[in-house]
Amino acid sequence: MSKAIEKVTTAQEAISRLVQDGDHLIIGNYTLGACAELVFETVRQAKKNLTLYSQSGIFDVEVMVAAGLVDRLVSTYVLRSGGKSGGSAVERALKAGTLEMEDYTNFNYNARLTAGMHGFSFSPVFEGVMSTDLFKVRGFMGDDKYKVIDCPFTGKETLMVPAANPDVCIVHVQRADKYGNAQYWGAMGSVQAAALASKRIIVSCEEIVDHEVIRSSPHHTIIPAFRTDAVVEIPWCAHPTEVVGHYNLDKFAYGMFQMAAATEDGLKGWMDEWVYGCQDRAAYIDHYVEVFGNGSLDDLKAKPYYSAPANYGSAYTSAWDENGRERTMGVTLDELETIMEERGLFYE
Amino acid sequence: MSKRYTLSELLIIAVAREIHDYENVVLGVGLPPTAGALAKALHAPNCVLMLESGVMDFEPLLQANHIADVMSFQGFSYSTDLFSAFTMTYRGFVDVCFLGVAQVDRFGNLNTTVIGDYAKPDLRLPGSGGAADFMSYAKKTVLTMRSGEFVKKLDYLTSPGYLEGGDSRDRSGRFPKGSGPSILLSTKGIFKFDPETKEMYLAQIHPGIQLADIQKDIPWELKIADNLVETEPPNDEEINFIRKFAPGESVGHSLMIELALKNIMGKIESRKQTKD
Repeated sequence: MSKAIEKVTTAQEAISRLVQDGDHLIIGNYTLGACAELVFETVRQAKKNLTLYSQSGIFDVEVMVAAGLVDRLVSTYVLRSGGKSGGSAVERALKAGTLEMEDYTNFNYNARLTAGMHGFSFSPVFEGVMSTDLFKVRGFMGDDKYKVIDCPFTGKETLMVPAANPDVCIVHVQRADKYGNAQYWGAMGSVQAAALASKRIIVSCEEIVDHEVIRSSPHHTIIPAFRTDAVVEIPWCAHPTEVVGHYNLDKFAYGMFQMAAATEDGLKGWMDEWVYGCQDRAAYIDHYVEVFGNGSLDDLKAKPYYSAPANYGSAYTSAWDENGRERTMGVTLDELETIMEERGLFYE
Repeated sequence: MSKRYTLSELLIIAVAREIHDYENVVLGVGLPPTAGALAKALHAPNCVLMLESGVMDFEPLLQANHIADVMSFQGFSYSTDLFSAFTMTYRGFVDVCFLGVAQVDRFGNLNTTVIGDYAKPDLRLPGSGGAADFMSYAKKTVLTMRSGEFVKKLDYLTSPGYLEGGDSRDRSGRFPKGSGPSILLSTKGIFKFDPETKEMYLAQIHPGIQLADIQKDIPWELKIADNLVETEPPNDEEINFIRKFAPGESVGHSLMIELALKNIMGKIESRKQTKD
């Protein structure tokens, strides 16, 4: 059965309703277009004991770990600010023993989601990683991190990863309709697999568009409405990362974050100002403009470079031509019914 | 007195009534797409119609020519691939699928592959297509039968119904609990499956059909519902919809071909006359 038909809500309501303490939560975006506001709202609501999945951790993972939301992290890449002399929230949490981590390769992590998305309980991956410590060193997943079986067709040793089906995915896209059909383009990463593998899906988008926009461009839809639980319209949601067609990476703001994140106190100060100090994304943007001026945002706004529209047209959209004649049989409805009568087609 | 209707229209309308609002519905080939169109237009506007070719959520405008007929509507919401259409079904996102029947046994198992010997067939039918996959994993399956046959033993088991009956389908551990054929609609009546034995029984009989007409098609002693009722006749709105949307379904294949040929010959003839 489909879910409630119109799903437009606020980040506050969506996170409150759909993210539970102890959940396996996945950040759907990969490197760009971060669902920053959904991350920040999760932090403001202080959800606890999360197992966090992220293909590639950037400031989103840092903020969630620094806020103490995350007990366990599954990822392939974590951010480190300030080089050797710097640091990261992930490193500090590992040192403090408040965080456990499981490392995968990009491909192996994505394979877990693809298996989950398609309903398989595991996926074969390629064997090279068996010669590395990714295979040998096991974190909280222990034996279940990787398994090896003999391929039933070739007999060859084959490496397996278990499927991942996180409880909830938070993901940002360019546009969605009010029913939850979510459209995303650009670097596809593992965005669709992350969403579709998950049990619940919270979509944020730069803009909510008419259903007709979706209907005329179905090839851009990565999450169909019947899978989506909540849709939130959040302009500038991904700032300081970029959203293709909307705004560029804000190198300056991102640099400021990285400088802050190198130390525990620095990151705490940054979060007090930009996460806890702003009740929502509109307040965050207001604060940004207050500090840096409107020009800084204007400079980031994308100039359009449209893809060519795909033509979904057909020769006609009715069985009847402009003269009311059925296109194949060449008769009007009245004539057709007379013929049906004459031929004794009617029942009884 | 409501409008008069054909057997084919009655069947399509009965099928459409098996689609409920908000359901995710996979439509097979043949009459289901027309039934889906009717349901979407008249009583289930929020159902999500799906084709295994990866086309999801559309509003039909024309009778579909085949399972990938994206030109029978304008646009749709989600374009995925065939693989994902099936894995989505496995994961429980398809509420109901519709399958046509060539041979069916008393437990709702289907053959759509071959009549006679597999290697040297009397009649080679299309095969599984998506049928075996959908019937395995859709939450329920609605069977439709226009010219198929009831048999004691299938020549080939293409799609799994209730296997040997009783709890054998659930017990196999291979199918979602409670899945399987829920109903079979033919041009003579509507059959359901006993909750315990999973044997097919006659639940409804179409207006004007005699019980003996049905029994003569069935090579076992057909069980009949204690409260056997007559199928509710289609209403004018439903009949008018089918006739306008899919006039070819209303008149049937042979008359459609006859009229189409007459139409095309007429066009050729009038072209000749203008040339002369």
